[in-house]
Amino acid sequence: MRVLGLRARITAVFAFGALVLSVALAFATYELTRTSLLDERERAAIRTAYFDASFIRTGLGGEDPDIVAALRNLDTGEARRPLVRREGQWFARSADNGLTGSIPASLQQLVEDGTPAVQRVPLRDSSALVVGVPLRTVDAAYYEISPLTELHRTLSVLSQALGGVALATTVAGAVVGWLVSRRVLSPLTSVAQAAGTIASGDWSARVARDRDPDLDKLAVSFNRMVDEVSARSESDRRFAADVSHELRSPLQTLSAATSVLDRRRDALDDRTAAAVDLLTDEVARFESLVSDLLELAKSDRPAERRPTDVVTLTRALATSKQLSPDIVQVDGDAEVLDVDPRRYEQILANLIDNANKHGGGVVRIGLSVAHDRLELEVDDEGAGVPLDERDLVFDRFARGRAASMRGGSEGTGLGLALVAQHVQAHLGTVEVLDRPGGGARFRVVLPGASA
Amino acid sequence: MPRLLIVEDDDRIRLSLKLALEDEGYTVKDVPTAEEGLVEHKATPADLVLVDLMLPGMDGFDCIRSLRRLGDVPIVVVSARDDTHDVVAALEAGADDYVVKPVAVKELSARLRALRRRASGSGEDAPKVLRFGEIELRPEAGEVLLGEQEVHLTRTEFRLLCELADQSGRVLSRQQLLDRVWGYDVYGDERLVDVHMGRLRRKVERDPANPTHLVTVRGLGYKLAP
Repeated sequence: MRVLGLRARITAVFAFGALVLSVALAFATYELTRTSLLDERERAAIRTAYFDASFIRTGLGGEDPDIVAALRNLDTGEARRPLVRREGQWFARSADNGLTGSIPASLQQLVEDGTPAVQRVPLRDSSALVVGVPLRTVDAAYYEISPLTELHRTLSVLSQALGGVALATTVAGAVVGWLVSRRVLSPLTSVAQAAGTIASGDWSARVARDRDPDLDKLAVSFNRMVDEVSARSESDRRFAADVSHELRSPLQTLSAATSVLDRRRDALDDRTAAAVDLLTDEVARFESLVSDLLELAKSDRPAERRPTDVVTLTRALATSKQLSPDIVQVDGDAEVLDVDPRRYEQILANLIDNANKHGGGVVRIGLSVAHDRLELEVDDEGAGVPLDERDLVFDRFARGRAASMRGGSEGTGLGLALVAQHVQAHLGTVEVLDRPGGGARFRVVLPGASA
Repeated sequence: MPRLLIVEDDDRIRLSLKLALEDEGYTVKDVPTAEEGLVEHKATPADLVLVDLMLPGMDGFDCIRSLRRLGDVPIVVVSARDDTHDVVAALEAGADDYVVKPVAVKELSARLRALRRRASGSGEDAPKVLRFGEIELRPEAGEVLLGEQEVHLTRTEFRLLCELADQSGRVLSRQQLLDRVWGYDVYGDERLVDVHMGRLRRKVERDPANPTHLVTVRGLGYKLAP
């Protein structure tokens, strides 16, 4: 499972906190408002019920009173429904409409027993307040039903408003969390950027100091680390370069002197000629070893990118390496890409040399150039590279197991390490795969801006 | 036999190069300092000069500049230094080619042969005079005129111009130019082309910063526009 980033988590925590807080507040507000509105409504209902009851009591005062007429004379507005119960019979202004059924028996019992009562009851899809007032003097009971529709509408508007506020608060919480995390993580972001720049070989990258003393510590210690590591790496590099450099002059003498011997090889006896051959081969290998070492010592510098016609370059190099032109297969919709031409040449040249030395020769060079990257594949027909050696082959002085079994001493053991460094300088990738049909496939991907 | 002058302070390198290049058919004169090299070249001008950069007394860069003032003898730097800075400085000083030690004798010899080759692209049927705006090129006579004025080019600059003129209007990549002018059959140092192109522009363009004839084709190379 993918772990959420720190920034996403901070944002989520802020949003969740805001959500909990605003929901709790909204809930409390709603409950308080509802209770107080209901109480007030109940008091008002009781007040009017008593008033109406006294009116009815007066109306029922005489002999054989017209209860319905008394009810009709009552001014109850639109909402309230007056009912009278006398001698087990219900009286209302109009047809019952099931109103009497909504008056609970327990309430009726209380009122019959002479206790005024009020209860909230469900009425159709809403609810209503039923107020019961005993009219003992006229031996009847007065009930008044006040629907709470208006109150429900008010509460529903209120709950919507509160819900909206809670949602807005949550979103605001998330935004604040996002901003806070950006501020808090900004030193991490700049450290990550600097580290990326350094990884690509530019040791000059440093993190800007922060005004915040807590965050500044990170910047200062990161910069100090880079200073020290770069100083160490620089001195290692300089040592390798110095050593190789000091080897150049004696090598030049060896190389020239050997060529003088080599020229006279035919005039020498067999033993001397064999010795001269050994000398010539080893001096040549020594030369390429030193030049590879020097190249390696300076290849941690950033790539010098410039618009390069990689297709033409690839074909020219293949030709100069005595490969058949059909070996190069090009596709993609671009030809020119911003890469370091010198490094690209060495990548390809070393991969070709590697295939020739360890893989039985190049069978295909695949080049695919898009506007923002190129993909280069060099296929050979050797034994391939075992899975557990695939990372090791890019190490310095690592040579394929097959090669060491053959006792092969060709090559400097630095070719693929150089490839890896040149690829790294471009922030690209290089990997070894199995070629379909046997053999190894070295695949290089270089990102680059299109020219 | 072509006369070759080696200016190199390391006795062993100097001797081994002398032996090896004599085998390649050169008459070699070797000196350990730039001062002696200049005296020698004034007394008996060489056909080719090999110069080391790190020399006691006058250094290789000054030696190249002094030789250049004396004429257009092809100069090859043989140095253990391969910093871009050194390469460009030596080429700017007037060197024709730059090889890094250790260099195989076969390769050095190929470099030297390429430098001694006459300007190509001027076969029998080649026109006597080529015109590119104000630039007038006479391959046979080895002359270049800018307007009415004769321009002095080194042999390498002249060959660079001839190769571009030969393919006038077409783009030549740096690799192709290296191949044709310097004889690099394998990939070579593209800085050679860029520095020489800069020097050539300063001599034949009215405004070298905004060349109208020797134009760079981004990502491809150079061409000579009519």
